[in-house]
Amino acid sequence: MTTAPPADKNGNETGKKARFPSLAPVHSLLAGWAGLALWLLLLLLLALYPYTGVSSLALLVGSQIFVLVTLASNWNLIGGMTGYVDFGHAVFFGVGAYIMAILVTGAPLLISPQWGFWQALPASGAAAALFALLIGLPTLRLKGPYFSIAMLGTLVAMREIVRVSRPITGGGIGLNLPPVLNRIGDYYLMLAIMGLVVSLIWWIQRSEFGQSLIAIREDEVGAEMRGINTTLHKIAAFMIAAFFTGIVGGFWAWQNTFIDPDGVFVETRTVEMVMMSMLGGLGTVWGPPLGAVAIYLLQNLLWSNLFELHLLALGVLLVLIVLFMPEGILGTLGDRSSTSLGRLLARFGRNR
Amino acid sequence: MAIENANGLPPSTPMASDQQPLLEGRTVSKYFGGLAAVNNVDFAVYPGEIVGLIGPNGSGKTTLFDCLSRLQKIDGGKITFKGRDVTRARPYQVARMGLSRTFQSVRVYRKMTVLRNMLISHQWRNTSLLHMLRPSPASTARRAHQLLDFLQIEHLAHEDAGHLSGGQRRLLEIGMALMPDPEILLLDEATSGVNPTLIETIKDRIRTLNQQGKTFLLIEHNINFIADLCSRVYVLNYGEKLAEGTPQEILQNEAVIDAYFGA
Ligand SMILES: Nc1ncnc2c1ncn2[C@@H]1O[C@H](COP(=O)(O)OP(=O)(O)OP(=O)(O)O)[C@@H](O)[C@H]1O
Ligand SMILES: [Mg+2]
Repeated sequence: MTTAPPADKNGNETGKKARFPSLAPVHSLLAGWAGLALWLLLLLLLALYPYTGVSSLALLVGSQIFVLVTLASNWNLIGGMTGYVDFGHAVFFGVGAYIMAILVTGAPLLISPQWGFWQALPASGAAAALFALLIGLPTLRLKGPYFSIAMLGTLVAMREIVRVSRPITGGGIGLNLPPVLNRIGDYYLMLAIMGLVVSLIWWIQRSEFGQSLIAIREDEVGAEMRGINTTLHKIAAFMIAAFFTGIVGGFWAWQNTFIDPDGVFVETRTVEMVMMSMLGGLGTVWGPPLGAVAIYLLQNLLWSNLFELHLLALGVLLVLIVLFMPEGILGTLGDRSSTSLGRLLARFGRNR
Repeated sequence: MAIENANGLPPSTPMASDQQPLLEGRTVSKYFGGLAAVNNVDFAVYPGEIVGLIGPNGSGKTTLFDCLSRLQKIDGGKITFKGRDVTRARPYQVARMGLSRTFQSVRVYRKMTVLRNMLISHQWRNTSLLHMLRPSPASTARRAHQLLDFLQIEHLAHEDAGHLSGGQRRLLEIGMALMPDPEILLLDEATSGVNPTLIETIKDRIRTLNQQGKTFLLIEHNINFIADLCSRVYVLNYGEKLAEGTPQEILQNEAVIDAYFGA
């Protein structure tokens, strides 16, 4: 009797097809303590930076970059690590911004006295997280592109809802916040938020929770069948990402002193988050921050040289990233075989 | 070799009528549109048994597995595991109760290393929030290494699962299914695409684990594999139970020969 195995009709080699083949997430470089140490050192240097006697414009630029880094890192938690490509993540930014504006201006008659900034800021995050819970329960059941589109729809719908809810939100006219100019305060506050968020992502990525998110990204059915409560983990990741995005939205509203629906519920903000994460390396800890800085610098460069064509140039860039660097900067470097720098970094960084 | 946590029960004799089934399905039905993929199937696996599930392609074996492991909502019938009604449970819940399975189209986490695949497949039953906020503990890693060794893929521990060959991936998936120290393992075509030497290894491992008290339910097209291992076999055909009995009885059953081997 022979025991020849039956022909493999299941195509082991093809396996499960990726939801977004080109958005392939990758291993994290410097994911261990060395990475965290470098990060803390960088934060320290950034904290000392204002003492070098810089202009208030430099502080503004600094806080803007910190905003982008925080947004990209947050988006990466749900889009890169969990694999739920959220095309409407700016909705949490908008919710946070509006909660901040409503609370500090006492715009609706129902809230008085007005809240201070420091009470309103956590409320912005909490509101965004709550919104994520409500919206995530139905949308996180959807897979791949369906989730992405549902979130895009949520963003557009919220913009219109805010526009028509005039008594509370000021409608299309928007809301004016009390103008308080404190560049140095803004700089340090955003530095702290960014430091916290990126360190949190570093922590999550090492933890079993973070590994379970990656497992969900890689094979959700498999993860559920092996005892992971996938619904709970996805919702938790979604809420964490929404919380800090809401905080950033609240901060942005405060710093900008004016918000309207078209200014905060914008698709381009989501596109930015996606692009920054992808350029740096989806699912990695340090990729999205790196991508955020790169995109910011590039945007300014393009804007000052190409003016209104700069959006077109960014679009072209996105296409080029997907075509030639689908795993982003860190992913391309992290691939042990592709570059000598990558090999070096890999040897150095894979001490998890 | 001995695996940590495995309770060294002696192999029990199956089908003792006073024994309660470990996993039981009563009149389980599952329809896809008008197609009855599983139709009124009665089904029981007793503690310590190795039970086979065979049938032609498309006869509903995988669908029955999906129903038992709760991945598919069933349209009729009742499923009990360890005496508890799990008809409406979610997959992660039956997994935490002690049911593990593998998939016909292997499901591993391709962008994670073999070791990380194993680590994250630990028993989640008593995992506290605090535990989840930390990296996997050393005890989990120790068990993972032991199992990788047991399955002879320890040398691949730091390889990406996506880089493994089909057969190696099957072994990894079996390892992942063993990580939580389950009471019953449902293996869906564990030998498909695996070379004959490796099949002997898998067979040997299943026997060892069974002697340590683990119960098995195996979907197989490899009749020798079934005949060598199983004490009892169910045969499905067009979603219905065609026969059940010892491998010898099944191999002589006219209806089975017609359905399975006949033209
Ligand atoms: N998700 C689904 N939707 C619709 N029909 C399905 C689905 N899954 C399975 N079927 C159908 O149910 C029937 C049983 O399929 P199943 O995969 O259970 O067969 P099987 O016995 O495992 O076959 P094989 O030996 O080829 O693996 C088939 O006719 C199949 O086409
Ligand atoms: Mg099958």
